[in-house]
Amino acid sequence: MSNKPSKVFLVEDHPLFRQGLAILIGRHPEFRICGEAEGAAEALAAMTELKPDAAIIDLSLKSGSGIELIQHMKTRLPQTAVVVLSMHDERHHAERSIRAGALGYVMKSESPTAVIEALRKVLAGKPYLSEQMRAVAVERFLNGAAPATLPQDVLSNRELEVFALLGRGYETRRVAETLGLNIKTVQTFCAKIKDKLHLANASELAREAVRWQESGWAI
Amino acid sequence: MLERLTAWPKGIQSATIVAVMLFVGYLDYITGPHISMSAFYLLPLTLAAWSISLRFALFIAAACVALWMGGNTINGDVDFLSVPLALWNGGVQLVSFVVLAITVSRLSALQRELESRVRDRTAALERTQHDLLRIGEREQRRIGQDLHDGLCQHLAGTAYTCQALQEELAQRGIPEAKNAQHVVDLIKEGIALSRESAKGLDPVELNAEGLMQALDESASATSKLFRVSCRFECDSPVHIHEGAVAAHLFRIAQEAVRNAINHGHASDILVALRIEEEGLELLVEDNGAGIANARPSGRGMGLVIMPRRAAIIGASFEITRQQGGGTRVRCFLPTGRIAKGSEYEQQAI
Repeated sequence: MSNKPSKVFLVEDHPLFRQGLAILIGRHPEFRICGEAEGAAEALAAMTELKPDAAIIDLSLKSGSGIELIQHMKTRLPQTAVVVLSMHDERHHAERSIRAGALGYVMKSESPTAVIEALRKVLAGKPYLSEQMRAVAVERFLNGAAPATLPQDVLSNRELEVFALLGRGYETRRVAETLGLNIKTVQTFCAKIKDKLHLANASELAREAVRWQESGWAI
Repeated sequence: MLERLTAWPKGIQSATIVAVMLFVGYLDYITGPHISMSAFYLLPLTLAAWSISLRFALFIAAACVALWMGGNTINGDVDFLSVPLALWNGGVQLVSFVVLAITVSRLSALQRELESRVRDRTAALERTQHDLLRIGEREQRRIGQDLHDGLCQHLAGTAYTCQALQEELAQRGIPEAKNAQHVVDLIKEGIALSRESAKGLDPVELNAEGLMQALDESASATSKLFRVSCRFECDSPVHIHEGAVAAHLFRIAQEAVRNAINHGHASDILVALRIEEEGLELLVEDNGAGIANARPSGRGMGLVIMPRRAAIIGASFEITRQQGGGTRVRCFLPTGRIAKGSEYEQQAI
């Protein structure tokens, strides 16, 4: 690790929390807070100027969305490592954040030292997730990405069409309308897809479909 | 009988009353002057005053007296000498008929007014209950969101500040550092408690998939907590774009599951969310004792509130006993009500 402290930018709309976070990070000489912002646009402008090494971003901001900010940063500030620090449940938001371009996800209810650990990890180019979330991720990886269950290998053409539309964020009714099928048929397809890909429920099905869509396999 | 008669069209009612009156008049005529039939005239008179109008009743009163006197005259009961007497008797009869007609007519008006007031008040009461439930739910969600976005963040900020203090003390070798660590741990517990309360008040997260996630989580929590099998079944993604709709559907499912465990002593509960051609179906089926009857009884407010919640979001609600035992709660939200609104698009993080 070089002696020069890493520049850290804070994007957080709750003043007291931002203050506490800055005090804690400020105690560690390896980091230096280079700027703070409450909203997405303001943060993006400041970070483009300051080029921080890492950014700690909340998902709910005063204006704009944290996820969109991370997506913008992926193209405009690829060298900045992003840690999401949020009160929202990691089971629903960690994966979405990572997909958007974050390297770490820390819940605010975790021990405050977790954020320091996460910063160290992402600055070293490694991902950071809580232990529970790592277990979930491994489980999802084992279920979803095993070679035998690649959607394009196991699903029929019609099932793949349904899966691809779900991956675009369509819900059942819209899939049915788009493919000219009735809802019952789409539901049967969904049930079959779930079985073939070993997915537990419709939320997982939707998530897996989006992941597949984004992986570039989808038509 | 009176109710059945008043349901007829006014014209038919009036004709019937006149027919009854003529029939009584005919009876009066054939039975002769020595047998008094005057009490029987009260039937058409009362009917006219109760269900038609006071004016019609007065006409019937006059007609009854005329029939009575006419019958007696034809029967030869009246001669010239007794004309004043007959007129006097007729007059007295007329006055008593008129008094009766007025009284009955007033009573009838009073009854109608009371009925209409009761109807209005009942409707107002239902509206109030509806509003209370809607506002209650909205306020609960608001308090939940405030807890999550305000108090929890405040506590987290305090924990971070305190952690910095702990590190500072530890760095200086001050033994009270462990006390500071204890405070951090206590604050963390505080955050966990507040998050739990926030979740109880606002269980469905603000995103289109929130209902699926909340029902899924709630089913697994129920399984663990009550050691029963509670499954959530949802084959294909169901997106609800309106927070209030998702919240009420969740509460209906929650109440049905609670009833299945507390009252039905069920060991196997299925919560299902399905998209149908005509709308969205929420089903809660259990293998418990089954509901005694499909009406609210002494089993708490839950059975009253579930259909009210359904009504608020424009859904139908039914609770039935299953053939093989157990209860089945079904809530159906027609397509038009599954809003394509943008509440989430504005509020989603």
